[in-house]
Amino acid sequence: MIGFLITFIKGPLIWISFIVFGGGLIVQTFRLLKLTQKKETRRIVPDKAFKPPTELSKKERFLRYLMSQRVNPLALNICLVLVSFIFHVCLIMTPIFVLGHNVMLDTAFGISFFSLPEQVTDIMTKFVIAGAIIFLMRRLLLRRVRIISTVYDYLLLLIAVAPFVTGFMVFHHVLNYNTIILLHVLCGELLLMMIPFSKFFHMVFFFISRFMIISEHSLGNPKRSWHY
Amino acid sequence: MLKQIEINTDPIQAILKQNRKEIKFGLSMCAHCSLCAESCFLFISNGNDPEYMPSYKFINSIGKLYKKKGRVSKQVLEEMRDLVFEKCVLCTRCYCPFGIDIPSLITLGRDVCRTQGLFREYDR
Ligand code: HEM
Ligand code: HEM
Repeated sequence: MIGFLITFIKGPLIWISFIVFGGGLIVQTFRLLKLTQKKETRRIVPDKAFKPPTELSKKERFLRYLMSQRVNPLALNICLVLVSFIFHVCLIMTPIFVLGHNVMLDTAFGISFFSLPEQVTDIMTKFVIAGAIIFLMRRLLLRRVRIISTVYDYLLLLIAVAPFVTGFMVFHHVLNYNTIILLHVLCGELLLMMIPFSKFFHMVFFFISRFMIISEHSLGNPKRSWHY
Repeated sequence: MLKQIEINTDPIQAILKQNRKEIKFGLSMCAHCSLCAESCFLFISNGNDPEYMPSYKFINSIGKLYKKKGRVSKQVLEEMRDLVFEKCVLCTRCYCPFGIDIPSLITLGRDVCRTQGLFREYDR
């Protein structure tokens, strides 16, 4: 029974999780797009053509420009944005370019991405874990985050870092290698399958709302609007 | 007990039903990250009181109604009135990093309050 479970987790479940991940992303994207409609849209703000009057001081011109683009420098949480950016870049890049994964891809299909040096992916893994700890501390300590937090938020944060914590343990041979690698695979599969069906779906929603739906914060030339 | 009876859940549930997808999507997408806080001038000018945070306002008005399927007491609805009318002026300047349409969700909260005769009180 245990033996069957182990082979299932290390075999078919990997396939299942990637299919659920890919299929889920496609289905959820279509469901999201059905909430929007093509519409003749007119962009009023921000005014791309706006040029601050040249007779003003440099500082004043810069502030006017930010205002025209609806950017409020006081509302930018620079530290958090930076932490979040590093967290996300490492979160997405590490699993793609880590040597361990590419070796598996190579033995299975004979193809693989190029791999980053293991010291680099190890640091990236540490960045993800550090980012998650900062998110956790904010959630526990800042009243404004605590007041809207639910158990689900903590659970999802745990699910997001679990593959990195276990991956780190595997790489450094902490505890029993075989047990932890099994745990790592299981955590990775769980995360993959959760992404389309949880708030992690923001990885698609973010781009749709920025590039396809017209709003004062959208980029490019969006042609759709909400249609509920 | 008497207060419970004053609520007419039918129009509330009609609003919830008609806007189900939007509400559900907003609730499920919100990462509870609190980055919208500083984009709200009322949040800033009220000493960073978290109850002024845009996400708090929509989660605890239309979001709460959605989760309770419209069955709330008059007292709870009066608290919501304070959130959507007194603590928000619908300036639509709030910024969600994902692009959740918070003002339109708060508007739904206002719609619900109006069906129960709860409005902004200008003489408070
Ligand atoms: C779904 C199937 C998965 C399998 C079979 C798998 C397998 C492995 C293997 C064999 C290693 C190499 C361990 C070593 O160096 O000895 C590894 C490392 C790693 N995995 Fe995965 N993994 C999976 C999913 C994931 C996912 C979804 C993530 C992240 C989102 C992830 C993140 C990592 C990281 C960060 C490392 C390297 C840790 C370090 O070098 O410090 N893995 N994985
Ligand atoms: C390209 C894809 C992605 C983009 C553009 C993106 C963007 C964002 C943004 C803008 C936030 C707002 C809050 C903040 O900055 O802290 C956020 C939060 C978050 N994201 Fe992503 N994300 C992506 C993919 C992912 C994935 C794949 C995961 C997990 C597996 C993830 C996990 C999280 C978590 C846990 C938070 C909340 C942090 C907190 O607790 O405050 N993201 N993301």
